[in-house]
Amino acid sequence: MPQALVPTLLNLLFRAFVVLLLPPLIPGLITKIKAWMAGRSGPPVLQLYYDLAKLARKQAVFSRTTTWVFLAGPVGTVAALLVASLLIPLGHTAPLLAFEGDVILFAYLLGLGRFLTVLSALDTGSAFEGMGAAREVSFSALAEPALFFGFAALARATGSLSLTPMLQSHGMWTAGHLSGPLMLILAGWGIVFLAENSRIPVDDPNTHLELTMIHEVMVLDHSGRPLALILYGASLKLVVLGALLVDPLLPVLSKGWLNGLAFLGGIGLLAVVVGLVESTAARFRMNKVPQFLVAGVLASAFAFLLLLV
Amino acid sequence: MAAALLPLVPPLNEGRFSTLLGALGSLIAFLAASHALLGGVPTHLDFRFWQGPARLELDALSAAFLLPLHLVAGLGIIYGAEYWPITLSKGFGRSLRFFFGFLVTAMTLLFVTRNGLLFLVAWEIMAISAFFLVNTEHHRPEVRRASWVYLVCTHTGTLAITASVILLAHRLGGFAWSPLPPGALGSLDIWILALAVLGFAFKAGLLPLHFWLPAAHASAPSHVSAILSAVMLKTGIYGLLRVSSLLPGVPAWMGGALLTLGALSAVYGVWNALAQRDYKRLLAYSSIENLGIITMGVGLGWTGRALGDPWLTALGFGGAIFHVWNHAIFKSLLFFGSGALLHATGTRDMEGLGGLAARMPRTALVMLPGVLAVAALPPFNGFLSEWFLYRGLFASLRGGDAWSSGLALLALVFTGGLAAVAFARFYGVIFLGTPRSEAGAHAHDPSRLMLVPMGILAVLTLGIGLLSLPLLPVLDRVVSVVAPGPALSRALPLATLVGRDFRMLLLLEGLLLVFGGLALAWLRRGVRAAEAPPTWDCGYAAPTARMQYTGSSFADGWSVFLPGVTQRVRSIRALFPRAHSFHTRIQDVVGDGLLAPWLERAAARLFRFHRFQTGYLSVYILYVLVTLLGVFLWLLLRARLPL
Repeated sequence: MPQALVPTLLNLLFRAFVVLLLPPLIPGLITKIKAWMAGRSGPPVLQLYYDLAKLARKQAVFSRTTTWVFLAGPVGTVAALLVASLLIPLGHTAPLLAFEGDVILFAYLLGLGRFLTVLSALDTGSAFEGMGAAREVSFSALAEPALFFGFAALARATGSLSLTPMLQSHGMWTAGHLSGPLMLILAGWGIVFLAENSRIPVDDPNTHLELTMIHEVMVLDHSGRPLALILYGASLKLVVLGALLVDPLLPVLSKGWLNGLAFLGGIGLLAVVVGLVESTAARFRMNKVPQFLVAGVLASAFAFLLLLV
Repeated sequence: MAAALLPLVPPLNEGRFSTLLGALGSLIAFLAASHALLGGVPTHLDFRFWQGPARLELDALSAAFLLPLHLVAGLGIIYGAEYWPITLSKGFGRSLRFFFGFLVTAMTLLFVTRNGLLFLVAWEIMAISAFFLVNTEHHRPEVRRASWVYLVCTHTGTLAITASVILLAHRLGGFAWSPLPPGALGSLDIWILALAVLGFAFKAGLLPLHFWLPAAHASAPSHVSAILSAVMLKTGIYGLLRVSSLLPGVPAWMGGALLTLGALSAVYGVWNALAQRDYKRLLAYSSIENLGIITMGVGLGWTGRALGDPWLTALGFGGAIFHVWNHAIFKSLLFFGSGALLHATGTRDMEGLGGLAARMPRTALVMLPGVLAVAALPPFNGFLSEWFLYRGLFASLRGGDAWSSGLALLALVFTGGLAAVAFARFYGVIFLGTPRSEAGAHAHDPSRLMLVPMGILAVLTLGIGLLSLPLLPVLDRVVSVVAPGPALSRALPLATLVGRDFRMLLLLEGLLLVFGGLALAWLRRGVRAAEAPPTWDCGYAAPTARMQYTGSSFADGWSVFLPGVTQRVRSIRALFPRAHSFHTRIQDVVGDGLLAPWLERAAARLFRFHRFQTGYLSVYILYVLVTLLGVFLWLLLRARLPL
């Protein structure tokens, strides 16, 4: 019995570390890569941890226009992402929760967080935040089919409707008839990843002009602890959606802890790639963004068609 | 049982007494339906109707539709007592109450009858009382128009249903409806089903026969809109399920066709909902969407039945019935809420509203679960029934018709995304921000009589979302009526098919609330600034309500994807334009754009017959005489001549 208990406990600890402690590191890593590419030294990698600690102590200011809905955004987003993080496999480590149909819950949890964020943005009555909200819902309604087509293709390939078998079925990358569709799915999901996490070329997290923002402009009026929740939620989303991209590419290793390390390495590598993309690409003009997203939908739809025929 | 048959004496008494009686009738019928669903023995009552045997029977399928009917009717009667008082001088309160009771009674009869003729009679009473209900405010011309369009449409549908019932009587050897044993399809069966789909699609508002629906549901008093949307549309679904359950089987291609039809309706409905400014029309279009989703479930179930696949049958029919219940709950909640808005502000145009969450906090609180449920977000009930359908569609990708289910899957995903956009817009523009007009600035919560029914429905959306595990065996009972035959229904009940997954799903939804509560507690313990400044808005010093994003601007990003739905009339050009005005017009592409011109041409042709209608009574008597004479002659000749 103890032999079975120790790996389970270690696995739980690893999962708690990845979900609760690791996320704020990822944006720091991306920022660092961008700074190096631009020849600057940049803020410390742990900057977001400092920011969160500071925000947790600061006063929260609430506009007199806002109501209780204003808090629903940060609270709902973090709660939804935490539940979603329970469903996603971290590399090839042992899964925590898996059941048939959990992909649907996963996708709709992301939707719930977005919906509540949009409501709390509209609660401020600000023109800028309304604009960001309108953009956010439009773009994510286009990103969602890309995500789902990828799921549908993997469901057809693996015969399961659960994230764990979909992402952990090893050997897909090397099996001839599956590597093509998988590449297309990952291309589509890569676009979803960039759009959902508001990265360049869809959105620029560092922009200073409110008119061009999407996600950042929705949270302009949040401060103190609500803002801390939002920032943590955004970094957790990087990890959760990043796992979708990283998992199918990882090799299966013999030891559990090696698999955990491989996952961490994969997420780190993803952060480096995002940093490189952000350093070399410019953001799209706003009316080009839907085209970019539709390209993602087409990529995963094509993967689905390849597996259908 | 007897209570279920006579639920509502049309309330003729004054105010409170009629409300009490109506609510009590609905409560008894609701309990009877629950009893039948929880495994009570199906009871029946035999009698003779027009020289034929007739039967009223309460089986699981009837009970599954009686349940939402009497839930919404009972709450609607309580709500209506305050919303439309009987003493309102201009309000036609008495006729409203009378026909409301009549509508509910007719639908009750419709759901329990097992006789084709009685079914048609109940159908007709239902259609006509709904006409009078929609026509309540008949001093307004747009209401008159909406109700007449509705009446014409429903009768066109009745024509097809009558034909289907007659063919069915031919097939069954009488008007009594008792199911044929499963087996090979007869040659008539396809026609029976096709006519039934045509007629019932009119009632359910499926594309392209939906065009009567938005205007009718927007014009009716709100608690009537609630029952029309939440229950009356579903009589179409009930009809499809009942008629197909009598036949020995369903051709597989028809399941795929119905699935596609439902998918198109769902996308079309939500597409239009996105553009509407009138919030009741928005809700009506969302009903088209949801009926589309339910139809997708029925189509999936038909495919499963044709292929003998218990998985598809259970998930399709089970998902459809589950969504019937869920949609009844959240849509009546939303319509009750829209009535409260109309009561408080007097306008149906959402662009004049805003900031009502601060002025009507209770209404805003009970509306939020409804909005989240209609957008199919966890942990509310709308998500669970869509989860069933997703599983059915994914299963159908492997086992059923892969192409139509792939299309339907895309439609369901897209519908979910767009519904979220449409209802974020609905809630955000109406309840959040600052008021955009005087009407919204002085709004206040309605009284308890209106709030309590909404509160009950709001609790139900969350309660079903979290605790619906006991519903699985109930759904099984309904599915076994819809898809008769031992091979399908008994083989794999839903409770064993998806029981474990469903339990995990509910567990995680509970966990979602726990995490949310923890995050909220952490926020509560933080320091809060003493004073509340105006919205920062990037340092802009004098924000006004008119600078907010409006509903139209919120949907404007989608105008590229909504060709023809919003038309901007007269655009502003030139570098230094002088005073100009422009307005946008929202139209229904299929209804106003494609069908209306065609119908107008047909009407112009038919107008030639107008000359026969002179308006003189003597001429009409002449017509009757001539017709009678003709019939006599025909009978005489037929007897004499060897034809």
